[in-house]
Amino acid sequence: MGKLERIAAQQDRAAGRGLSRRGFLSAAVGSSFLFGFARESKAAQTYPLGAPLPPPEFEPNIWCSVAPDGTINVNIIRAEMGQHIGTALARIIADEMEADWDKVKITYVDTDPKWGLMVTGGSWSVWMTWDVFRQAGAAARTILVEEGAKLLGIPASSCHARNGRVIGGSYSISFGDIVAKAKPTRSFTPDQMKSLPLKPASERRLIGKPVKSLDIPSKTNGTAIYGIDAKIDGMVYGRPKMPPTRYGSKVVSVDDSEAKKVPGYIRYITLEDPSDTVPGWVVVLAKSYPAAIRATDLLKVEWTPGKTANVTEKQIQDRGRELIAKSDVGTMIFNDKGVDEAFKGAKRVLEQEYTCASVMHYQLEPMNAIAQLKDGTWEVHCGNQWQTLFLPVIAKALGVPESKVKMVSYLLGGGFGRRLNGDYAIPAALASKAIGGKPVKLILTRSDDMQFDSIRSPSVQKVRVALDEKNTIVGFEHHATAGWPTEVMAGPFMEKGVDGKPYDQFAIAGADSWYDFGTFRVRAISNDLAKETFRPGWLRSVSAGWTPWAQECFLDELAHELGKDPVAFRLELLNGNGPEGRNKGKAPDSNGGALRQAAVVKRLAEKAGWGKPLPKDTALGMATTFGQERGMPTWTAGAVKVHVDRTTGVVTCQKIWLVLDAGTIVDPDGALAQTEGGALWGLSMALCEGSEIVDGVCRDRNLDTYTPLRMPDVPEMDIEFVESTEKPMGLGEPGVTTIGAAIGNAIFNAVGIRLRHMPVRPEDVLAALKEKGAA
Amino acid sequence: MIKRILTGVAGVGIVAGMGFLWYAWWPAIPKIAPVQPGQFSAEKIERGRIVAAESYCVECHTRQDNGGGPMLAGDYKMETPFGDIFSSNITPDPETGIGNWSEAALRRALQYGVSRDGSHLLPAFVYDHFTKMSDEDISDLYAWIMTRPAVHMTRRPNGFPLSISPRITLASWKLMFFTPGRYKPDPNHNAEWNRGAYLAEGAAHCGACHTPRNLAGAEKLPGQEYDGGVVDGWIAPPLNQNNPTPVVWTEDELYQYLRNGVAPLHGPAGGPMSPVAHDFLATVPESDVHAIAYYFADKAHAAERVSGDKAALEHAMADSKKDLVGFSTDPDARLYQGACGACHYNAAPAPVLGRPELALNNALWLKEPTNLYLVMLRGLTAKEGQSGVAMPSFYNALNDKDMARIAAYLRRTRTTLPPWTDLEKKAADARKLVEPPVNSSH
Amino acid sequence: MIKFKLNGRDVSLDVPEDTPLLWALRDDLGLTGTKFGCGVGQCGACTVHVGGRATRSCVTPISAIEGADVTTIEGLDPEGRHPLQEAWQEIQVPQCGYCQSGQIMQAASLLRDYPDPTDEDIDGVMGGSLCRCMTYIRIRKAIKEAAAAMKSAKTEGDHSNG
Repeated sequence: MGKLERIAAQQDRAAGRGLSRRGFLSAAVGSSFLFGFARESKAAQTYPLGAPLPPPEFEPNIWCSVAPDGTINVNIIRAEMGQHIGTALARIIADEMEADWDKVKITYVDTDPKWGLMVTGGSWSVWMTWDVFRQAGAAARTILVEEGAKLLGIPASSCHARNGRVIGGSYSISFGDIVAKAKPTRSFTPDQMKSLPLKPASERRLIGKPVKSLDIPSKTNGTAIYGIDAKIDGMVYGRPKMPPTRYGSKVVSVDDSEAKKVPGYIRYITLEDPSDTVPGWVVVLAKSYPAAIRATDLLKVEWTPGKTANVTEKQIQDRGRELIAKSDVGTMIFNDKGVDEAFKGAKRVLEQEYTCASVMHYQLEPMNAIAQLKDGTWEVHCGNQWQTLFLPVIAKALGVPESKVKMVSYLLGGGFGRRLNGDYAIPAALASKAIGGKPVKLILTRSDDMQFDSIRSPSVQKVRVALDEKNTIVGFEHHATAGWPTEVMAGPFMEKGVDGKPYDQFAIAGADSWYDFGTFRVRAISNDLAKETFRPGWLRSVSAGWTPWAQECFLDELAHELGKDPVAFRLELLNGNGPEGRNKGKAPDSNGGALRQAAVVKRLAEKAGWGKPLPKDTALGMATTFGQERGMPTWTAGAVKVHVDRTTGVVTCQKIWLVLDAGTIVDPDGALAQTEGGALWGLSMALCEGSEIVDGVCRDRNLDTYTPLRMPDVPEMDIEFVESTEKPMGLGEPGVTTIGAAIGNAIFNAVGIRLRHMPVRPEDVLAALKEKGAA
Repeated sequence: MIKRILTGVAGVGIVAGMGFLWYAWWPAIPKIAPVQPGQFSAEKIERGRIVAAESYCVECHTRQDNGGGPMLAGDYKMETPFGDIFSSNITPDPETGIGNWSEAALRRALQYGVSRDGSHLLPAFVYDHFTKMSDEDISDLYAWIMTRPAVHMTRRPNGFPLSISPRITLASWKLMFFTPGRYKPDPNHNAEWNRGAYLAEGAAHCGACHTPRNLAGAEKLPGQEYDGGVVDGWIAPPLNQNNPTPVVWTEDELYQYLRNGVAPLHGPAGGPMSPVAHDFLATVPESDVHAIAYYFADKAHAAERVSGDKAALEHAMADSKKDLVGFSTDPDARLYQGACGACHYNAAPAPVLGRPELALNNALWLKEPTNLYLVMLRGLTAKEGQSGVAMPSFYNALNDKDMARIAAYLRRTRTTLPPWTDLEKKAADARKLVEPPVNSSH
Repeated sequence: MIKFKLNGRDVSLDVPEDTPLLWALRDDLGLTGTKFGCGVGQCGACTVHVGGRATRSCVTPISAIEGADVTTIEGLDPEGRHPLQEAWQEIQVPQCGYCQSGQIMQAASLLRDYPDPTDEDIDGVMGGSLCRCMTYIRIRKAIKEAAAAMKSAKTEGDHSNG
């Protein structure tokens, strides 16, 4: 069982559904395998946009339906935030059922318990849906072939489905006609579902083939509807007035005498939040959003600030260092027998500390939500990545049962993990409650959005290695501390370490690598000061975006120390050996194990021309990861070519190479797009981004000081996927993971300086060059 | 646009004692019965319209605050350090306007700065320029004014506290700084030049804004003619060879600027200059605008300096793309890229019309960042500068520090001049001059 | 009452004159294709055309466009088939798509000024339009493809006219 499935199971239990993840999968498919399944929730948005869907006469399961005109609708419970997930998932079901792709539409559905876990993150979507959608497609195909065969008067065993038709000899009939004439009613038990024959990989006609994503046309002509575009008759506009600290601020007084002068100002509301998601927030309501902007500026609120009002990033990082120095805190993810002995008996022990600054999401659509009470149910309209997590929080804030809350889905103007945290829905809901359930559209301005962004926590990592007399690695330790998002927002779903203690898998994944270090200790520590100061967030590639900064840079340092080539050195370590056979891999997810990682490293070295001479102050650097998490590895190797300007300290990345093995690639172009974007995120975080906590909040409030990568900063890119028929893994985030460390390593290879803080700033480069010159 | 004059009038108190009563005294000109509009020919009225346009009468005699006012009915507010003053109603309304003025009374007002009743007019009414106007032009102007709709409207009272007799103070000022007399053609120049000079020095009163003024509010003449001045908080750039932009204002650049409100190389007109082009010079014969352009191109010795333009233009085109092309980590450059670059990037050989090239624009080359700041804060409406296009207002989008960063960055990367000083404070000062044009977030 | 032309139609709007054009378009005129991103004119998501020139609507007061001609993504092409829109679909540029209206409007003005844009021109003009999904490679490619399509359409047009 993968990590995410465990989360799902835990969450299902927590929600009182009493179903294991497996149980959910079968039950969801099985129970709905009834003709005319009642559609409780009105579908939110269907793509491609256009005419309304015809009635779904035949709904072989909750995931898809076939109309008499042949239109096939696929229900998507994942958030569409740029990964074209609807298209990728619909391809799986359509391929298995042999649908005519031109007739396929996708619908992003609203929350409903029948959907089970609604979460979009961790690059999990394809991996999570792969089995259930193939089964659902197979079920539909089986029934259509049976019914079609009857209509054709040919035995079903002599018929097959192909491209939207059931064919028997020289006769054929379309899926639409079958539905119109036969009105199929057959259903399957969950066990029958599992035993349905699936098509072999060689028979796939849609998966892995080029496709135009169904959501794209609407994104080129202004018709795509995001949360911020939602409109409800009679709605008023809200903007929050943010307290000075994320937690613990208390409203002392509010003076709206100036705000009242703004035409259109309605009132302010001091939020009382039983869920304690938005303590100390005040919401201003107005008849237009510009009026809400101005009135909020003019509203005078006095707070007693929380205790973190003066906390700085340095204090948080120093706290991290303190924690790492204590051996009795944190959770052990690996703690191999003999690791302490290895260090005690080592000929040499080397260690280094690596740090990463706060990083902000800056998803382009600022946080927003509409809330209203309609027919006794609270509707919350917004784009969200983890409805199953936040719907209960909304219910708690409103003081109503979960069954009285519905989240209506929209496209997301960027997720990147920010919308896994649904905190922004709470002030909208509470403001609406304060005015009797009338619709309130709450929008955060960019500065509001950034003030309390759920940032990627700053982190401190310590890596240590024990070498024997022959310079063989006999022990390795990786300690990492940061604010833990899962602890704060989804505590019950944390993993348990080998010591039985809980930990946030998204604040350590990446450190638990597939190298053969002899003995290996990986320890994750929650930084309590970080947790008190801000709300740590999941951010694209989560910890796999920063743990390689320590481990992969340190391996290069080590290679240099030992006089070895960094590629060859890694290949030695990616040998599949290790305690408990854990680096050998397990079917189906990590079949092949470390050897598959070694394979992408080898291919990368060939592609990038590793070892060939380059101009002065220009060099390659590389790093390798297993993508997102051990349980769902996307084997990844990345290299960059950088030039370092010794006079200005500017590091320019000229080219990026990536080789990835993510198993079967369902949507090749979508996979490429995700990887391009991910790699550039990696580059942006390494060279362009990074914030700093000042007075308890990030200093940056907008693009005047926060400067993500833009068009001119983009290097040449060469991305390759290994051809594979293994189970598909995720691709939303692996592109990010290697870039930072590869840049750190390339800078060293170019000018001989080692930078251990991310982002890399020109002043750090100049200071290091100066120090090196002086030494 | 000439309100700044008043700031110096109080200084005249120093010389008030020298005022001569006999100089100060002018007789009233008798009232006349309202003129019948029918007595003027259509041609004469049209000629008068052109004279009025070339004098921008409407600009300072029409209320702009409080939602605007009827044309020529006065009450246009001019802010001065001594209080606000308000212009006169010059519609043909007999009671509140100039309906009972004879042509001679108008002529005396323009040429001698004396009202019909014999009192001295404030030099905010720039008779030091209007005195150069010909009797014929004034006659045509009279026909146009008297055929405009009469509006019964009284201006707000002036809040201009002269501690001594205005008559003596103003008479003294005139004695010291005002030389009445019609324009005398310069035989060393051709007819076009002389036509341009007649308009520029007279009706169009260019020096009122573009020549610096002394403490008494008088133009520093002779000596600093067209060295540039300050108006409504904006810098009116030098119109002579001291203009600092790297490519010269040729006759064609000037013509397009004056006629269309935008010059291909130097960019659009902003602030008080914009209506000069759009509301007035766009409506007069092209030949007159050409003549003014011809005159100022000569004043600035454009022909002698133009040889350097090719190199300067090449240089500016290279500067234009600095930090916008390829990777840059300079935070100021990235701010400029996000806020400004998309509209102000240009590539060789020359700027695209509608992409004002900052490396060539006065705003970066003046002694102070004032104009740069004001245009950032206010933006330009579709009616200003280049017609039909707008520049956003960064009033809420850039704080004083951001504005200072952009100003410093542009000055160091797009000019060869020394850095501006106290940029953040000056940004705050400029902000005080501007009503927030847009209710945007930040 | 502010009057202007919007996507070719006359529009009168009774809103405070300091209303940002963005919110007038989105909330008063119902055209939500233009997006709110940074609110400070630095991300480009709100880009529309005023008088044919790319303009950041989030910081443009409605009063500034009195009498002007405004085009939004909805009006760029009556059929939604501007060569840029076609190239965007062909090359599958958008990811989350939120910035893409602004990107396309900015690119349209780029091609107006530089019909055959160099990489530098694309850097210079598109550098102000942030794409947080980082679809930059594809934006660049699509702009070049659209430029080529427009050029060949023009050549064909010239040919048939000739």
